[in-house]
Amino acid sequence: MKHFLVACIFLAALSTANASNAAPLVAAADWAAYKQKFLDPSGRIIDDGNGGISHSEGQGYGLLLAYLAGSRADFDLIWSFTKTELLLRDDHLAVWKWEPAASPHVTDINNATDGDVLIAYSLARAGKDWAVPEFLDTAADIVKAIAATSLTEHEGRVLLLPGASGFAAQDRNDGPVVNMSYWVFEAFPVFAELDPSTDWKKVAKDGLNLLAVAEIGPKRLPPDWLSLQATPKPAEGFPPEFGYNALRVPLYVLRSGIADAGLLYPFAEMNASGGIVITDVATGEVRQILTDPGYRIISALTACALSETPVPAELKSFTPTLYYPSTLHLLGLAYLAEHQGRCL
Amino acid sequence: MSKTAMAILAGLVAGAIGAYWLTDNSADVASSQFGLAEVGNEVAEQQPATKNTPPAPALEGNSAPVPSDENLAQTAPAQTPSAPAATQPPAGSQASDVDETALRYFARQGDTKRLQAEIARLRALYPDWTPPADPLAVPPQTDAQLDQMWQLYSQGKYAELRKTIADRRIREPNWQPPQDLLDRLAVAEARERLINASNLKQFETVVRVAADTPSLLTCSEVDVLWRVAEAFAMTSRSDRARDAYLYVLKNCENPAERLATVQKALPLLPRDLLDQLLATEKPGPDDAGEFAAIRADLVRESVAAGGADPPATVPEADVTTLESLAQRDGLAADARLLGWYYLRHEDAARAEKWFSTARRTEDTAETSQGLALALLELNRPAEAEDALYKWRDASDTVRTVYFAAVAELLALQPPPSLEPMVLQRIVSAVAAAKNATGAQQLGWYAHAFGQEETAGQWFSAALGWKPDDEASAYGLAVVRMALGDKKGVTEIQRQWADRSERIATMTGPQVKTAAVPFANGPKRQTTEVRDGPSDAVSGEAAPASTTGSDSGDAARQPNRRGCSKTDLYSPATGEAALTRGWCLMELNRPSEAVVAFEAAFQGGRGAVQRDAAWGQTLAYVRLGLADEAAVAAARMPQTHERTLDLEASILSLRATGFFEKKRYAETILALDQRARIAPERLDLMTMRGYAYLALRRINEARQIFQALAAAGDPQGQRGLGAVRATIDPTPQD
Repeated sequence: MKHFLVACIFLAALSTANASNAAPLVAAADWAAYKQKFLDPSGRIIDDGNGGISHSEGQGYGLLLAYLAGSRADFDLIWSFTKTELLLRDDHLAVWKWEPAASPHVTDINNATDGDVLIAYSLARAGKDWAVPEFLDTAADIVKAIAATSLTEHEGRVLLLPGASGFAAQDRNDGPVVNMSYWVFEAFPVFAELDPSTDWKKVAKDGLNLLAVAEIGPKRLPPDWLSLQATPKPAEGFPPEFGYNALRVPLYVLRSGIADAGLLYPFAEMNASGGIVITDVATGEVRQILTDPGYRIISALTACALSETPVPAELKSFTPTLYYPSTLHLLGLAYLAEHQGRCL
Repeated sequence: MSKTAMAILAGLVAGAIGAYWLTDNSADVASSQFGLAEVGNEVAEQQPATKNTPPAPALEGNSAPVPSDENLAQTAPAQTPSAPAATQPPAGSQASDVDETALRYFARQGDTKRLQAEIARLRALYPDWTPPADPLAVPPQTDAQLDQMWQLYSQGKYAELRKTIADRRIREPNWQPPQDLLDRLAVAEARERLINASNLKQFETVVRVAADTPSLLTCSEVDVLWRVAEAFAMTSRSDRARDAYLYVLKNCENPAERLATVQKALPLLPRDLLDQLLATEKPGPDDAGEFAAIRADLVRESVAAGGADPPATVPEADVTTLESLAQRDGLAADARLLGWYYLRHEDAARAEKWFSTARRTEDTAETSQGLALALLELNRPAEAEDALYKWRDASDTVRTVYFAAVAELLALQPPPSLEPMVLQRIVSAVAAAKNATGAQQLGWYAHAFGQEETAGQWFSAALGWKPDDEASAYGLAVVRMALGDKKGVTEIQRQWADRSERIATMTGPQVKTAAVPFANGPKRQTTEVRDGPSDAVSGEAAPASTTGSDSGDAARQPNRRGCSKTDLYSPATGEAALTRGWCLMELNRPSEAVVAFEAAFQGGRGAVQRDAAWGQTLAYVRLGLADEAAVAAARMPQTHERTLDLEASILSLRATGFFEKKRYAETILALDQRARIAPERLDLMTMRGYAYLALRRINEARQIFQALAAAGDPQGQRGLGAVRATIDPTPQD
């Protein structure tokens, strides 16, 4: 292993002063282009790479980007849809899947924890900046519900399960199963404020520790879905890949203000080609190289953090492509904007 | 109570914060709300003065409606202020303060319904206010952006409306959206969310949203009220579901919605709570109550449950009501329900009456089956057979009942004289169905009329269809004995040696008569029941018997003391069959009990099966069929006590059997086995003594008899005499 311990965990203090007075972290033109392509007038974010459906993750991203763009109106629009169409579960969490052609539109009432985390995080930040008690109250309800349904102790670590049901040790032969990209690290300090009864700092710390052991195989990359039943290994029933889920991990790590070289190194090495390499974690074989700017900017930011490599100019401008990489692209640009002067 | 600005019900809803009612004569908009706050009871206790006091009528107030209790204003949070009570205008407000934007918008849209509702709402809020004579005429200054907002609202585009409001507030920092618009928007979003959650069965969310949005719970949103009620019912809060339905029934006027309310409640509430809803019934169009149809269905359901297996308890009033309905409307289905009800409740006479009524209107297999069962209970098997003959092939259950009727009919004592046509059709039916029980009964019937050849053919046929039918084998032996066919008797005895004690021990006519109560003294008939089964199949006419015998043994008569036959038509739970089994055991009719217990075993589960196996075991023991008893006993695990009891009984049987066959060593062995689990009875000790004696184990025999003698049993002295006689054949004195 390249590292046994995450030596330096530093959770950056959140910048809370950006949205209201400073220039927005997501540029107005970029946000306009994004929402023109992916935001339906009804307030739902359209996943055009996935049959035009909507989901809790997309709504969470939409809220976060609207907040980072300083657009209260779009935030209200997306929130109204999210609340009335997805935030329906008895346990205060969001149903994850919404299909425009289905009736009822919700076709799977399970939750997806990353969607819940993103929604609660966005509401919390917007609620604080814009002084909206409803946002803060709802965020606190969701955070407490995540704690109640999806946190579990396993071998001394607190795990964030990917859903309220179906992933725990008692639910699967290879359980518990986790998805490292569901740790949106920047959210946990905010959660700690909203929900003092849960040790959210430990959730963050244990998540980083877990990431260190989740980087497996010859390329030391985390698989999208990881079984922790014994030695960490790819979960059954999923491709044993560092794939579309896990590729977000370095972005989340960076956005949360952690610059742990040991943690980030495997991602930088893998990214040498400039794109993101979908990799079979067991064999190290390359499955696919993703070159959308939204993926490449993650590589570029990782390289920037590790070696001060400048971010290529063409990645600094935004043109929407597909929902998922475009979302990541704007989050990457927001990170750059927040760290003015780095790697420019 | 005046309907105008009438206030209803503090205390209507337990746990409600107080629903109240404010309307204007000019409109039927109900602004009252169904309250959900959990704190209601406490609040009511703290404020006894308001608990049962209706709110002040709004029209008599100075400016604003007064909520039914003050807490409404406190508990209804600011974010749901569209409830009139929560949007109280400042005291002394002038008509000029009234926000007529929505009203004018609806007028311009030509949305008369919403316009009227808005007028009613504003009137309730502002008693001094007068609606504009022409809402379209004024005011000159229009707000196009606001109009657009109202348009989004009426199109149900709530998210877009949110965006539009926020956009304008950023553009025009001094602009304030009308509170009315914000309130309506919040309520509309809550409504969407509640309905979505309801469709996904997220009932806790439904209740939560409703509790947060009390202004949603009014007569104008009956669908929402229904969904809230459903959410309560589905989360084990029937009382609160009842409250919600009751709220609609006590406050809302729309007849179709009222009827639908009770229909919605039907599958969700228990009967006692449903009755509370029905108590709010108003007169319907044709003098009948508005819920008459529902009441009738409820009563039908109730009585039907009372006729099911196992029968539910039915209020007497329901039965009476259904009887009136059945008499008034003459529906066969109603009469049939009553038939089943009475059959289950052991009133065969009434059951017979209702089934006959139903059958006159509509003759179905089910009705005829019910009628036949009632007639069987009334010991009128001839009519039962007659009623069911044409339906006998309708189903397995009907066929079972038909052959039960046939068996009962043929077994009547004295044997009945049957019309040739009837006998012929019975013969054909038995032969066609290869029904062993029917064949056996035809055997006994023929035997009763001295038609031994025919009887023998039927018993043989029964054995052909059901080779283990001991009763038919026994019948065949009886017939052969009567015919003097000793060889034939011996043949049967050989075949059944291990399986039937009564066959094995048949020795002659005297014994036979004693052992077979219904075989004695049949009077010679002038005509024969000549047709055996083969004849029947070929369709030859069957000469009828003409006279009955009066010499039958009463023990032959079935159901002299009725054992209920309910198991014949409802094998579902097996409980009825079990009851019948025990009843037959009590009547000392173990072979029939074996069949009943079998039915109970097949139909039942758990305790019923265990008891059925046990009952069948005891029945076999009583029949002297040790092996069958052992097999039956092994079907279900029994309690330790029962197992021991049973093994002891079986071993007694075995010992007796061996002893009678002069197999003395095996007799001793069986007795020894038995002695290990149960104390030896005196009669078995006697047997043991004689067995020892026969084996010439003199000392042991003597010990036994001495012990018996010491216990005061006369068999002891008698046995000691036998011991002495064995040692010294010279007679003692």
